[in-house]
Amino acid sequence: MRRLLLTLQHAVAVPTRNPRLAVVIGRLLALAFLVCFGTGLYSHFLQEPLPWMHFPTFPSNLYQFTQGIHITAGIACFPLILAKLYTVFPNLFETPPITGIGSLLARASIAVFVGASLVEITIGLLNTYQFYPWPFGFREVHFALSFVIIGSLAIHIGVKLPIIAKYWRKRDGYGPELAFDEEERAEINAPLVDALPAPLQKVPGARQVSGLTGRLFRWIDAAPAEGVVPLRAVDVAPDAPATPAVPADEPEPLGQSRTRASTSRRGFLVTVGVGVAAVVVLTAGQSFALLRPFNLFAPRVKGIGPQSVPINRTATAAQVTETATAPDWALTLSNGSRTLSFSRAELLAMPQTTVDLPIACVEGWSQMATWTGVRLKELVRQVDAGQSAALRITSLEKEGGYRVTQMGSEYVADNTTLVALTLNGETLDIDHGYPARMIAPGRPGVLQTKWLSKLEVLS
Amino acid sequence: MSGRELSGPGMSARTMRLTRTILIGVGVLGLVLGAVVLVSKQDLPAILGVAAWMLGAIILHDAILSPVVFLIGVVARHAGRRVSKVVLAIIQGGIVTGCLLMLLVVPEFYAKTLPIANDTVLPFDYAARLGFMWLGLAVLTAGVCVVYLRVAGRRNVAR
Repeated sequence: MRRLLLTLQHAVAVPTRNPRLAVVIGRLLALAFLVCFGTGLYSHFLQEPLPWMHFPTFPSNLYQFTQGIHITAGIACFPLILAKLYTVFPNLFETPPITGIGSLLARASIAVFVGASLVEITIGLLNTYQFYPWPFGFREVHFALSFVIIGSLAIHIGVKLPIIAKYWRKRDGYGPELAFDEEERAEINAPLVDALPAPLQKVPGARQVSGLTGRLFRWIDAAPAEGVVPLRAVDVAPDAPATPAVPADEPEPLGQSRTRASTSRRGFLVTVGVGVAAVVVLTAGQSFALLRPFNLFAPRVKGIGPQSVPINRTATAAQVTETATAPDWALTLSNGSRTLSFSRAELLAMPQTTVDLPIACVEGWSQMATWTGVRLKELVRQVDAGQSAALRITSLEKEGGYRVTQMGSEYVADNTTLVALTLNGETLDIDHGYPARMIAPGRPGVLQTKWLSKLEVLS
Repeated sequence: MSGRELSGPGMSARTMRLTRTILIGVGVLGLVLGAVVLVSKQDLPAILGVAAWMLGAIILHDAILSPVVFLIGVVARHAGRRVSKVVLAIIQGGIVTGCLLMLLVVPEFYAKTLPIANDTVLPFDYAARLGFMWLGLAVLTAGVCVVYLRVAGRRNVAR
């Protein structure tokens, strides 16, 4: 078994699978995960705030930015995590696999980290496609796994900290021959397998490749076509019957080895960089207007839909087409025993305010728009609500997790929070919340309640 | 690589030990919190579903994706004996980038075959765009290879 594992480790060893690159990719991935975690928590608590929480209403596009970053960083995690797993793949065949309780827990935490990370970014991506092929609740599991990932990441960093610290410093970027000493260079250029503890490297058969793998590598390392400069393979078996152009036991010229390893490392890093840039640039146009012209693959596009604003839930889906267009519709506003109601005509007759605010969805897409309507703080003043009034908002929707929501006093008191009646200069489309909807700065789209029915001041 | 005691530059053994202890302690707390949240918000079948997805993701990566990448690497390594290393790296880079985009886009055009909420969700013809993307990527990769070979050729002549 040990021989098999060592053989597999050698089989998958290449210059790009080394500790320095594992650290370089690892810290980018950790940064992306931390950004996702921070922005995800912000989005979560905006939707489910703790009693003492207050949120900034300025800048008004704060949530548009944080959630755009959340989704974009999540997408960038795909190339990063695949690159990270690629650099450490030989560790899968580490032998002996378990050396004690500590190593068992370390490997278990890595398995949890890898599994949770892959599931987290996958369900996050598919959620933006509104595609749910799993037997569990998205929001709850996405939230729970975020703690699992950060926890197992912290454990992983704790376990690997000596290696991370050793290979952390940049020194000379990716030309280690410039600043590292000979021993360090050898270690950095070595595939992961060669950095195994010395005792393990003395295991009989550790340097040998035989059987199917051996035949495969003999084919790979067979003499090249005439006139082509041969390159010695790292893993060629010393006892291989084939005669490579450069014998396996003859050391490869140091300069050639360095150049080859350097080309691999640079090629790998450039590929990772291009991969990250491609997935980000070709999708982030759904969140950031600057990248809109490059939006080839995002599930959402700015500027489409009724009144040039995309939508999530239609009036039909919310079952409000009749109630929202009923002639006797009125917005009820109450504060304790004091209750007022306003028809749409009465709301239109009140002083109107126009603001530019984005609709920013939890799925990452966003759209800036111009809204006109009644300032909420002026409306609630009519029922003698104080400066610190918070609201319970009810929609005409028949059902749904956001039919009834709450709005903190910071939003109620903000000058730009409106009961909106028009969008981009036109009467609100029914899919955008006709006859009246809420629009406030820095809030997730799901809390910008459409098809308003009732506002209650909370004591 | 685990099991080796390396001392990090600029970090004393005591600081290293303390930092590791804190990180592992925080990590265990995170795991416990995640487990508590999961158990409190999901029933048993859903939790088993999460476990199955996690296991499936590991198997998909370790037993399918990685061996396929390994085999591609083997072919590339063989080809690498007849083709310039840099050209090979450029081609590999192009293929990897295309595969990454495909990984994101294939579920998208599948999702579009299912009932969607409205016309503003998944508005593109993703299959056609994916085809054009591969075409564009192939042209771009070939162009970069040609430029590299010309530059490298001039350098060789200059020497």
